[in-house]
Amino acid sequence: MHIPDGFLDVKTLAATAAMSAAAVGYGLKKANEELGDKQVPLLGVTAAFIFAAQMLNFPVAGGTSGHFLGAFLAAVLLGPWLSCLTIAVVLFIQMLIFADGGLLALGANVFNMGVIGGILIYYIFMVIKSSLPKSRFGFLSAVAVSSWLSVVIASAACALELALSGTSPLNVALPAMAGVHILIGIGEAIITTVVVGVVLNVRPDLVKTYDSEGISGTKTAGGVVGGQ
Amino acid sequence: MKHFFIDKYSEVKSPIRNLDARAKIITFFSLILLCVTTPPKALLAFGGYYLILAIMLVISKVPLSFILKRVVIAIPFILMVAAFIPFIGADVGGSYNLWGITLYQRGLLILFNVTVKALFGVAALTLLVSTTPFDELMEGLKKLGVPKVFITIASFMYRYIFVVVDETMRMKRARDSRNFEGRWIWQASAVGHMVATLFLRSYERGERVYSAMLSRGYDGEVKSLSEHPITRKDIIFTLFIISTAVLLNLSYALIKLFIGG
Repeated sequence: MHIPDGFLDVKTLAATAAMSAAAVGYGLKKANEELGDKQVPLLGVTAAFIFAAQMLNFPVAGGTSGHFLGAFLAAVLLGPWLSCLTIAVVLFIQMLIFADGGLLALGANVFNMGVIGGILIYYIFMVIKSSLPKSRFGFLSAVAVSSWLSVVIASAACALELALSGTSPLNVALPAMAGVHILIGIGEAIITTVVVGVVLNVRPDLVKTYDSEGISGTKTAGGVVGGQ
Repeated sequence: MKHFFIDKYSEVKSPIRNLDARAKIITFFSLILLCVTTPPKALLAFGGYYLILAIMLVISKVPLSFILKRVVIAIPFILMVAAFIPFIGADVGGSYNLWGITLYQRGLLILFNVTVKALFGVAALTLLVSTTPFDELMEGLKKLGVPKVFITIASFMYRYIFVVVDETMRMKRARDSRNFEGRWIWQASAVGHMVATLFLRSYERGERVYSAMLSRGYDGEVKSLSEHPITRKDIIFTLFIISTAVLLNLSYALIKLFIGG
């Protein structure tokens, strides 16, 4: 669920768009340095993956369901700046082709999911990670907490923007948005942790933030990746 | 392949379809910008914007039902964030009493404002992509200054959405046929395993595609053969619609200025 046009005022739109543009611009530079001409196929297919993963619903409570968001998962797998770029591409295509999220609100949507849910939470994740024991369990616990935080804080940021724009008062919007996302965040945390765990087993080279020094016995599971 | 949702009508021949993508992008983006910055009380102006859109819709031969189906997307957000606003107290403005329920004027105005603008934004974007094939749209955005790499990654994503979504649907079907019944939140771990497999398959597909591209001489740049000059028709279309919309945007202030309100 992305913010449509008309909900935010000009100052909020301009401020979030400026910050998102800066972050995405830096992400483009990073992508060029780190991936070179590999950036297009890899980030393009990863963006398609995030789009498809968002179609998977999971039950929350009482018959309602949430869907996977994937901003923090992208940050663990690609690093903060490339994840922000990938999320921006996903939101751009969702806005343009599916009219999900407004044109002028694109900057705010990228800000909430890419800059806050990706970059900011990534650095919080690094702090949490360093305070936990250096083990697979410690790493995955940090992943679980951070992915829950990414959903809750991104939704709080959305409520804050709506309040700053004078659309809905903070004392109503914040509990409504954050309340729902505290539950959705649990599903997000479960999924993200399982995904990172499986990827660590199969392709540990793809989890850039995991330093395996001193961690032994990483089991490898063949046969998980099938298909073409 | 289930790609019922993509730019379905963009190949239907019509005068709007034949315009240059740049002209259409500038026109539709300006329309949205002008609509969003119109003061909420300017009812006439909103009527005008919707009328412009309706005329273009008729000319473009895109069915109204298709636009309406898309407009539904914005409704959950409106319901969640704005639907309650008329019921909560506001310090300024009057209130109405309807069957014993108090509705506040200021809240109603906010609800009207966000609804009319959100729905217009969705309708305008849908009409734009329904009259412009995806590759022309991307080419146009590139020429208008959106970073090339960003556009190329987005085009790639669009190309692979079909493949990855099909893959997802196959996995979902396989899972459901094994009696998966999502009821409790911890069952999200089943979804986690699907997402993990999906990620690995997608990433490895990306690596394979990259080698295939290299072997075909890819050097980091995607070349396009299309070359569209801007014609007089494009300029007239863009200027006419934007100037009408600017007038509508200013109409409320102008009426106030001359008649006094």
